[in-house]
Amino acid sequence: MRRMLSIIGARMGQLVIMVFVLSLATFVLMKVTPGDPIRSILNVDEIATTTAEEEQLLKEYGFDQPLLTQYTQWLKGVVQLDLGLSMISSEPVLGMIMSRLPATLALTAGGFMVLLCITVPLGLVGALYEGRWPDYVTRWIALLGASIPSFWLGLLFIYFFSLKLNLLPVMGMGSIEHYILPSVTLGMAMAPMYIRLLRERLITTLQSSYIEAARARGLRESTILFGHALKGSLMSVVTLFGLSMGSLLGGITVIEMLFSWPGMGELIVQAVMDRDYPVIQGYILIVGCLVVLINLVVDLTYGLLNPEIQHGKEWAS
Amino acid sequence: MKKQMIVYITILMVGMFLSGCLSEEGTTNIQRETGNQSSGDHKSLTVLFSFASSSLDPHQDWMPVPAGMAETLVKVDENLEIQPWLAESWEQIDERTWVFNIREGVKFHDGTSVDAEAVKASFERAMEVNRAVASTLKIEDMEATGQALTFITSEPYPALLTELVHTNTAVIKVDAEDIGTQPIATGPFKVTDFTPQVEIQLERFEDYWDGMPNLNEVTVTFNSDSNVRSLALQSGEADIAFHLSPEALEPVELSEDLRIESITSLRAHFLLYNMQHPALQDHNVRKALDLIVNRPVMVREIMNGHGTQANGPYNPDLPFATEQAGDTYDPSLAEALLIDAGYDKNEAGFMQKDGEPLSFTLATYQGRPELPVIAQYLQSEAAAIGVDMNVVTVENIESYLWEQQDEWDIVTYSNMTAPRGDGGYFLNVAYGPDGSLNPGHIHIPELNDIRQQLNATADREERVALQQAATAIIQDEILHSFMLYPHIIVGVHERVTNWRPGAVEYYIIDHKMDVAW
Repeated sequence: MRRMLSIIGARMGQLVIMVFVLSLATFVLMKVTPGDPIRSILNVDEIATTTAEEEQLLKEYGFDQPLLTQYTQWLKGVVQLDLGLSMISSEPVLGMIMSRLPATLALTAGGFMVLLCITVPLGLVGALYEGRWPDYVTRWIALLGASIPSFWLGLLFIYFFSLKLNLLPVMGMGSIEHYILPSVTLGMAMAPMYIRLLRERLITTLQSSYIEAARARGLRESTILFGHALKGSLMSVVTLFGLSMGSLLGGITVIEMLFSWPGMGELIVQAVMDRDYPVIQGYILIVGCLVVLINLVVDLTYGLLNPEIQHGKEWAS
Repeated sequence: MKKQMIVYITILMVGMFLSGCLSEEGTTNIQRETGNQSSGDHKSLTVLFSFASSSLDPHQDWMPVPAGMAETLVKVDENLEIQPWLAESWEQIDERTWVFNIREGVKFHDGTSVDAEAVKASFERAMEVNRAVASTLKIEDMEATGQALTFITSEPYPALLTELVHTNTAVIKVDAEDIGTQPIATGPFKVTDFTPQVEIQLERFEDYWDGMPNLNEVTVTFNSDSNVRSLALQSGEADIAFHLSPEALEPVELSEDLRIESITSLRAHFLLYNMQHPALQDHNVRKALDLIVNRPVMVREIMNGHGTQANGPYNPDLPFATEQAGDTYDPSLAEALLIDAGYDKNEAGFMQKDGEPLSFTLATYQGRPELPVIAQYLQSEAAAIGVDMNVVTVENIESYLWEQQDEWDIVTYSNMTAPRGDGGYFLNVAYGPDGSLNPGHIHIPELNDIRQQLNATADREERVALQQAATAIIQDEILHSFMLYPHIIVGVHERVTNWRPGAVEYYIIDHKMDVAW
């Protein structure tokens, strides 16, 4: 228990440092790339403005101040848990992000479920028939999946399942059926990497000495496979999923836009287009924390599932 | 043997998963299919739009007006003329004073009556929360007595009337609890539910001042992908889908239940010239470039017919558009003009002057998918007369134009030229010395005089004459090369009746639109 607390403490320390570095880097990058929100603020629905008005607003928002001053201003707010207001809509940034976070997380969970439904059977088949035709078939499926961009896959799904078969809604959120196409698209887009990972893990595990020992004890093959080998190998899938959370949240944006999913996707894309700095910074901050926290949870459950694994040491055994 | 078992289990699991998905949908699906069918007297309709709304505050977001929730004092009709809306009539007392008489009997969605005091409060809020509105209205003071609302502007401002068409000036009840999700306004429909960026659910407002709306319910949904919008229309999930892309219309056109509406918009696609480039300061060079713009081919091939050839900044339906024909494609005349301007062809076939080849950087952006295609087409036409064009695609075009002024020479651009049915806006931003759309630093004193005169002229006929005079200078000087006016392409289900999209996209859902079944 004490060990666990110290891990949590250390991770929290890392979190603060990481988020600080991340936010500083985004802040500087956003400022050096061309564009500022002034034109978006003033040029709503083609209103005639002059360059003088733009410059005045630039001053009011403090964009003429040195970068460091602007950054410390923002940081002061963050310390007081105030992410500021959106420059375009004047809404509180924290509320804007928090109201959209649940939908993104729900889609992530749906995608993960689909991922498991695809990965486990295909990974198993690949490992058990290593080097034979079912293995090749799963590898081809993985390769095919990896080479289809997710937006194209989503469009194909909409075309077949919504238009041709008229089974599922094209877009939106509401009923359970609205979850299916986006989740399947997300799960299938991620699956190839995991199928191969699970296959490799299973192959190594099945050759390991503890499996041999289990066989020697006369355990049934299915017990060995599902009770021991799969359980052990699935953990690497969970770990990788936790680790790739950051890139997943990036990739999910495309799917959210395609299916009009009310997650953070549309919000952040629009914020980047408008150079709505407070929203972008807030998003980075919250997603950064989320990724670190999920990794922490993965690590902790890992320890719980397999006490042999000690934190701070490589799990090379 | 065991391994075979596992293969069977696998197949079974995948099968169960798939059938699980399918059967679950199968049952709820029937509901969905009939979702948009109107049963008995209950009529409903779904409109699918391209830009999402994250707020329903009419002073921040434009959607409440097109969605039939909120209304402005005046509106522009199909002929792009100003018509009364919440204001029944108005009068300009002197250069800076206007009196608007608010229509009697108009009710907010909560049943309270709309008087001048309420409208005044709404304007005060709009100018407070939206900088752009404050900057465009130039209102210094307001006075409300009964139904009469007096505006006093900070300077003589004849364009106030057209600026009041702006959707962000819509009238709302300012003490509503949550304006961002439940605005209380005066339109024929009121919000029942709102999911930001996804969906607005509306139901009819029975006390609407202009008569009971025909539809009981309207749903407005959003999707930024034009392919998905088209698929949603074809699947019956949407009855009206806005902004379909010209290259993907075939399935919609072939369907018996659907029709395409293609209307000239108030937008123009044009070339911006950087007047700081020495060659572009030469009228002959600009004229030569204008002559290689093959407008009919662009409309036919790039826009698939969903565009109109341009002969100036303004759409030909506008009263102040010019009747003069634009330049016709003539590469040999273009070549002759360049030779007149002192250029000659070198051995490699390039135009040059004093040993310097004539070369331009042509910038374009993806925001409107046809613009990069137009840029490539221009590049090949230019190459044919020996002019080198280097095409660059930039991401954030507005800031590129201003912050990298020494990098671009020509830009493919697109802008609303008469957003509220008045051309003054474009003349001010594109030709005024400090206009926000004048990164090429166009400065023609004669044009500037006309612009200032226009800004101080209220009389409608005089304004038309001034705008025509300005257009004549713009076209003679070739300050921009106007290429075409893109169409607004809307896919509509045949069950929708009493409705057509307009060139002004401010009014989409109204109380007259209906469904046949």
